[in-house]
Amino acid sequence: MSAPSRWKQTLTPYLFLAPAAAVLGMFMLWAMVQVVFYSFTRYTAFRGPDPVGLENYRRLLADSRFWWCLFNSFLYLLVTPAVILLSLQAALLVHAGLRWARGLRVWLFLPVVTPAIVAAIAWRLLLNEDAGLLNSALGLLGAGPVYWLSDRPWTLISAMLVTLWRGFGYYMMIFLAGLAAVPRELEEAATIDGAGRIDILRHVTLPALRPLIVLVAVISSISALKVFDELYVTVRGAPVSHQTVVPLIYDTAFERGDYGYASAIGVTLFVVVLAFSLLQLRLAERDA
Amino acid sequence: MIDRRPAWLTVSMYAAALLLALLAVGPCVWLLAVALSSTEVPLSRLPGPDELTLDNFRGVWSEAGMGKALLNSVIVTVAQALLNVLLAALAAYPLARMRFRGRSLIFVLILSTMMIPEQVIVVPLFRTIVGLGLYDTLIAVVLPFSVTAFGIFLCRQAFLAIPLSLEEAARIDGAGSLRIWWHVMLPLARPALATLAVFSVIGAWSALLWPLIVLQEQDKFTLPVAVNQLLSVFATNVRYAYAGSVLAVIPVLAFYLLAQRWLIRGLMSGAVKG
Repeated sequence: MSAPSRWKQTLTPYLFLAPAAAVLGMFMLWAMVQVVFYSFTRYTAFRGPDPVGLENYRRLLADSRFWWCLFNSFLYLLVTPAVILLSLQAALLVHAGLRWARGLRVWLFLPVVTPAIVAAIAWRLLLNEDAGLLNSALGLLGAGPVYWLSDRPWTLISAMLVTLWRGFGYYMMIFLAGLAAVPRELEEAATIDGAGRIDILRHVTLPALRPLIVLVAVISSISALKVFDELYVTVRGAPVSHQTVVPLIYDTAFERGDYGYASAIGVTLFVVVLAFSLLQLRLAERDA
Repeated sequence: MIDRRPAWLTVSMYAAALLLALLAVGPCVWLLAVALSSTEVPLSRLPGPDELTLDNFRGVWSEAGMGKALLNSVIVTVAQALLNVLLAALAAYPLARMRFRGRSLIFVLILSTMMIPEQVIVVPLFRTIVGLGLYDTLIAVVLPFSVTAFGIFLCRQAFLAIPLSLEEAARIDGAGSLRIWWHVMLPLARPALATLAVFSVIGAWSALLWPLIVLQEQDKFTLPVAVNQLLSVFATNVRYAYAGSVLAVIPVLAFYLLAQRWLIRGLMSGAVKG
C-alpha cells in the first residue's frame, strides 16, 4: 500500500467522527467543564468571570429561595410513583387487547407529542381558579374552590399533573414492550395450576416487568428533577419559592444576569441528578 | 388458553379505557373549544354552535406573527432532525466497524455526555453562542443539539446488526468508506434512522427552554416561544394564546399520526431516551 493511501485509511475514522465530536465536545463536555469553573467565579452580565473560591456555594447555603426550590424538586419526585402506576395500568389495559379499543395505544400516546407549553396552557384552562372545569365541578359538589395556580402546594401539584399527563403514554410504551416479552407459557402454566388473574399479575407479570419498572423510575425521576416548561407556564405569577431548581437557574442567569451563581445552582443540580441515578441503579442491582 | 374474562371485568376494562382516552385527549379538545369560542363564553363550559368563531385564530395569525413563528419552527425542526440523523450516522460508522486508536475512549466520552443535563449547562452554552456571534439566530437554536449521544448509540446498534459480508463485497468492488456508508450502511439502517428522525422532530418542535434563552427578536421566535409570549402580562387577548397553542400542536399531531409506526417501533424495540 502506498503511503498516502495508508494515511487516508488512518484518518478516515476520525473524519467520520469529527462533526459529532466537535459538537459534543464543545457544547457538552467543554460546557460541563466551564459550568464547574464559572461556579467558582463572580460572573455577571457585565463583568467577570473573576475567581472567588467557594463564595457562590456559601451563598447557596444561606439562600432560602434555593432551599425552597430544591425542596420542591424533591417533592416533584412524587410524580414518579404516580406515573409508574398510571402507565402500568394503561399498558395492562392496552395489552389485554380489548376488541373495540384497538386504537387506544395511539390515543394514549397523544399527550407525549403535545409540546409541554401547550399541555400546560390546556391544563391552566381546566385548573382556572374562577371558572375552570375542575373548580366548577368541585363547586357543584359543594367543595372548593382550590387555588390550583397560586397556593402552595397546589401550584406544584398542578405542574405535576401536567408532567404526569405528558409522561404516562411514553412509559406505557416501554411497559408494552416488556409485556410483549413475557412468555405466554408462564401465564398458561400458572392458569393450569389454578392461579387466578390477580395471582398471575402479582407472581408472573409484575416480576417479569421489574427491570422495566426500575428503568422507568430512573428515567422519570431524572426528568422530574430537570422539569422546566410545565412549571414555568403553569405557575406563572406565583413566587419563585413555588418553583423547582431549573426555573431558578433560568431566573438567576437570564432574568438577573448572575451567571456565576446560576452555575453553582447548576452544578448542584448535576450532583443531585447523578447521585440519584447511581442510587437507583445500585438498588436495581441489589434487587436483581 | 387463559379462561374467558367475566363480563363485569370486561365492562370495567372498557370503562377504564374510555376514562384514560378521555384523560388523554380531553385537555386538548377543551383547549380547541375555548380557542374557537368568543370571549363571552365562560371557561367552564363548551361553546354552543352559534358561539363558535375563528376570530382568535385570525387575530393571533395577523397580530402576533404566528406565520413567521410557524416557519421558524419548521426550519429549526427539519434542520435539527436532518443533522441529528446525519451526524449520528457518520459518527456511528467508525464506532461500529473500524479499528483505530482511541476508539473506546471516544465512545465512552460520547456516552458520558448523556449524563449531562442541558439544564445544567445553559450558562456556558449561552456564553459560547454569544461568543460565536450567533445570539438571536435560528442556528443558535439548532447547533448545540445537532447531534446527541443517544442518536449515535442508536445508529451504532443498527450498524452492528448489519452483516459484515455485505460491506466486504462492496469493498472488493472497490468502494471507499464513504460510499459504503452511503450505499450499504444507511439504506440497511433505515428503520433506526427513521426512529431517530421522528424522535428529533418531536423533541425539537417542543423545545422551550433553550430557544427562550437564545432568541430575542419576535421575528426569530419558534412556536413555543411565541406562545409563551402570548401568555405574558402584556398580551392583549388571552384567547390568542389558546389559538396559538392550537396552531402549535396541530402540525406535530399530524406528523405523529403519520409517523407513529416508526415511533412505536423504536419504543417497542427498546430505543429508550431519558
